[in-house]
Amino acid sequence: MINAFLVFNGQGQPRLTKFYTQLDTSIQQRLISEIFTLVSNRPQGSCNFLPLPPLLAASGTSQSASEPHNDVPSLVTYRHYATLYFIIISTSTESPLALIDLIQVYVESLDRLFENVCELDLIFNFETLHAALGEMIVGGVVIETNLERIVSGVRAQGTVAKRPVNEGRGAGLGSGLGMGGNFVWHGR
Amino acid sequence: MFEKSLYDLIRGLRNHKGTEKEYIQNCLKECRSEIRNQDMDVKATALLKLIYLEMVGHDMSWASFHVLEVMSSPKYHQKRVGYLGAVQSFRPDTEVLMLATNLLKKDLSATPATTISLPIAALPHIITPSLALSVLADLLPRLSHSHPAIRKKTIVTLYRLALVYPETLRAAWPKIKERLMDKNEDPSVTAAIVNVVVELGWRRPNDFLPLAPRLFELLVDSGNNWMAIKLIKLFATLTPLEPRLVRKLLPPLTDLIRTTPAMSLLYECINGIIQGGILGEGEDFSAREEIASLCVSKLRGMISINSDPNLKYVALLAFNRIVVTHPFLVAQQEDVILECIDSEDISIRIKALDLVQGMVSSDNLVSIVSRLMRQLKASSASSDQQNGLPRPDPETDSSDEASAGQTGRSKSQEHAPPLPEDYTVDVIGRILYMCSHDNYTSLSDFDWYIDVLTQLVRIAPVPRARYFDSEFPAPVPKYLATDISEKIGNEIRNMAVKVKAMRPAAVQAAELVITRLFRLNSESASSHLVVSGALKPIAWIAGEYAFQLSSPDDTLGHLLQLLPWIENPEILATCLQAIIKLFSFISGDDRAQWTAERKSSMSLLMARVIHVLEPLALHPYLEVQERGVEFTELLKLTAEAASGQAPSIDALEQDPPLLLTQAIPSLFNGWELKSVALGAQKNVPMPEGLDLDEPIHSNLSALLAQADSLMLSAQDEDEFEAYYNQKAPVTAIASNEPAINRLAEAPEEVSGSYQQAGEESYLDADIIARRKAERAERNRDDPFYILESGRSRGTSTPIHNILQKENGPDLDIDSIPIMKLDLETVSTSIGSRGASASSRQQPPSFPSSKPRQRAMVAADETLGGSGPSTPRGYDSENNSDSFAKARAKKLKQSLLQVDSSHLGHLSLDASGQASDELAYDPEKQQRDEAEMAQAMKEVQRLRLEMQRANERIQVAQGVPAEGVIVKKKKAKPKKAKVEGEGESAGGLVVTKVKKKKAVEGEGSGGVAVGDPVKAKKKKAKRIVQLADGTGAVDNL
Repeated sequence: MINAFLVFNGQGQPRLTKFYTQLDTSIQQRLISEIFTLVSNRPQGSCNFLPLPPLLAASGTSQSASEPHNDVPSLVTYRHYATLYFIIISTSTESPLALIDLIQVYVESLDRLFENVCELDLIFNFETLHAALGEMIVGGVVIETNLERIVSGVRAQGTVAKRPVNEGRGAGLGSGLGMGGNFVWHGR
Repeated sequence: MFEKSLYDLIRGLRNHKGTEKEYIQNCLKECRSEIRNQDMDVKATALLKLIYLEMVGHDMSWASFHVLEVMSSPKYHQKRVGYLGAVQSFRPDTEVLMLATNLLKKDLSATPATTISLPIAALPHIITPSLALSVLADLLPRLSHSHPAIRKKTIVTLYRLALVYPETLRAAWPKIKERLMDKNEDPSVTAAIVNVVVELGWRRPNDFLPLAPRLFELLVDSGNNWMAIKLIKLFATLTPLEPRLVRKLLPPLTDLIRTTPAMSLLYECINGIIQGGILGEGEDFSAREEIASLCVSKLRGMISINSDPNLKYVALLAFNRIVVTHPFLVAQQEDVILECIDSEDISIRIKALDLVQGMVSSDNLVSIVSRLMRQLKASSASSDQQNGLPRPDPETDSSDEASAGQTGRSKSQEHAPPLPEDYTVDVIGRILYMCSHDNYTSLSDFDWYIDVLTQLVRIAPVPRARYFDSEFPAPVPKYLATDISEKIGNEIRNMAVKVKAMRPAAVQAAELVITRLFRLNSESASSHLVVSGALKPIAWIAGEYAFQLSSPDDTLGHLLQLLPWIENPEILATCLQAIIKLFSFISGDDRAQWTAERKSSMSLLMARVIHVLEPLALHPYLEVQERGVEFTELLKLTAEAASGQAPSIDALEQDPPLLLTQAIPSLFNGWELKSVALGAQKNVPMPEGLDLDEPIHSNLSALLAQADSLMLSAQDEDEFEAYYNQKAPVTAIASNEPAINRLAEAPEEVSGSYQQAGEESYLDADIIARRKAERAERNRDDPFYILESGRSRGTSTPIHNILQKENGPDLDIDSIPIMKLDLETVSTSIGSRGASASSRQQPPSFPSSKPRQRAMVAADETLGGSGPSTPRGYDSENNSDSFAKARAKKLKQSLLQVDSSHLGHLSLDASGQASDELAYDPEKQQRDEAEMAQAMKEVQRLRLEMQRANERIQVAQGVPAEGVIVKKKKAKPKKAKVEGEGESAGGLVVTKVKKKKAVEGEGSGGVAVGDPVKAKKKKAKRIVQLADGTGAVDNL
């Protein structure tokens, strides 16, 4: 199952945090900053998986690989879009490659909802972020991967606010998250 | 007052760059007052702001009651904010959760689909067993809601309920199964069910075997890749239980592998085949062979393709799984896997390392470790440069070698970023493990190992936290708590203790380390604290084997200079001991004359030692203080004696003071120290006829008085020694050892096959130089080396020299212990010793094809027949460490982990205890349903009552605390009942009680208590109690 879904920007500022287990705020923040240190030091062209952050590795089973334990978070998957990092922490019952796609689906659905999404949309509409995530994942289990259904599910909950006009795009955050570009697994 | 909206808050945050903290504090203050506002709009906005600030790291647990208020708002957009607040901020200890129960139940049965999904989506985050018990009845009907989105969310929520309250499954599973079997069900609901079944499946695969046909159908027909991936994962857990599935699965899987364009599905197919144990055993050999090679070749392709690092990573993950069951398949891919160790990507490196650790053997150990060493060296060099530290390369004057090393290094520096510290620590730990595991079976060249260890001490990161922190118990990050360099030092010490042949080399290595530490400390302008944990074991070696040091005086001097800079008290204590041992070795020569020169040098040395030790008498750590005081006093006494002893002049010969030559050395010269197996102490057998209560002697006091003047006779000592130490056979071997060692050692070309790995690239120049010199030295003195080159024995002077040196001039050449060099004798003598002194010998079958240096690794000492207590006693300390850690880990649950272990204990599908209440009996089911309907009606009625009571409480908002207390009181007996039920697992007594309650509550006789009804009944009962509770509030 999925243990946590996080979004933060290139400076490590959280834009969305969703933990599927209850965790103290301070520990959440520590975990985020540990993952940020890991993710921001990736060389060009490295894979989309991170080694376990110390906080998880210390209590997890990184060493005792002999006895696979499916309850323990063992996989940290991330994707980098323009100024944002999307992170999924999950157990071994999830397929690593499918998780990469899942992030893609999430970003695409946001793009659909906001029309050419950028970081500013996420900053000012974090309720919509939660709503979209809620249509895809409930309690750590993936319930929907179809773009149309996710978008209509969010829209059913009310109108999606547009970004404030005066904030505009010129705020130097770059345009769009530039997805659809780098790579998508074929056949999806 | 004008309130900020969330938009204003965020804009404000962005406009207050630099003073964010202040701004946020102000906002929090505003929120605190706004959230108390009666206007729900203001309240909700304040809550939304709080949620935003919580995301950035500002605790909002204090607002939990207000979260509840907003949750109960009738307006959807406010309610949504309230639920979001609950999801983000409620913790297991949030008390208002008790109050939320009714609200959740109410919202679960609301009409708009959007409202229903709010509590459904929130429940997984806040669920507790008691909450699960009370909302289950409201949640179950949602499984048949007309809206598919509600159905699939409900299914997942039920799963999360089952994790904390396994009984949920008993009621919910039949319905979920019904949904799964329904071919007209919405495909996304089916997919959600499959996802849940996968989560449940690995815990209790047996329950899902009956579903296999339907699942298979879904796999073949659905065409949904997401679901197919999950199904394959599920089948992988089912096949071990039902081998017939394999034959059914193979064709579609092979088909998928060959045809699917989706890489993720392809990968999961391979992974499923591996995990499901479909490779390997079985009757249809050729088909399996085919698929095995297909899988492995695909995986290999994934690794060696350069374009996509993700594939590399997942292929390594898959190999990590295969290696458990099919190590040979992985071993064939060694080449590509080893390439991954050098990948720039740390994730890939770590996975490759995991893999490599399992593949290590005596053949590839050296090449693997060399690779790792090269990495470490390159990164430490570049990080040193960055920190501007002096290069730890004091002896680079050995010209060409050094420059060769230099170019190699600078080249690697360009693209070797400093590795993260915890990774470095991890790698070093693994190197140590690979080399030392199983009592050094994989290790064939101990000289090389010592060199590696010496290099590692230099590379190992030091716990920086202690640099600046002068406070005593320095708070160190967890992964540094056990200093890695101490582990390295421990390995060197293990070498010195356990491998006698390597003792001189180990001692030299220790000397080198001390010298280097000393240099580093004295060279840097501002002397900093010595923090390397390696100093502890290293100093011990130097003290214990002082006689093998090349220059004990220098070592003592270095240690004395280092001592004031040591901060860690344990290291300090060990160093103190080592200093005194060294001192006793240097000064304790009783044959040398007590000349004036010696006298003055001795008193100088003592004065110096005392000067260093004296301040330690005030050390806060008791062990250090004690040793400091003891040794200072002892030395002062000795110094007095020495100054009193007149030096011998030509005519009159004087003995050195006895205190110096006899007393102090006798403190440390005992039997040789040996490694003792863990738990060996427990195996000391109780001597027969030992009665601890019996007086030792009838006339003890007289005996004691007598003993005052009694000296131990020499003979007694011998007996004691013979009995305890079994020293005779050991020493016999020991005297042989170096020679055997030389005989069995392969000629340089063979043992040097790893030379191609290029030691220069990872060992510092001085280590290599020393090594070369050593080799030259060894070969010059090696009689057998010369013998091989064809010279006749009689004329070879080197042999004679050796003999003269070691055995004295009188020895006859013919008595060269050739017979003792016979390997067979050795092994039998090991055997005989092994029987008595160790319960384990060297593994009998060495890879004998490759001649290897046979250094004897002494097994840990233990007592015969001590099987049980020494299962892992032979491994070095780090292993027992890691074992303990693993055990601790097991006890401690991981962060973020959702524990599903409770699930395993519940039995589904009416097996076992519930056999007479078969859910399959349709008649009974009907009866049950009727009953349930009745119960539901009752529940409905009570809920209304409850709601009214609740509203009354809410009106009287001044007394929420009382409400909490009352509910708590009520909650306790309920919990107890639930537990009791869990224990007796539906036993008779409980059911009876329940029946009675049901009768009371409904006023109509329940006929039979069906399985699914149980929950309902509990529910009903509970409402009754709660209603009572609220009644009590009313009375208050």
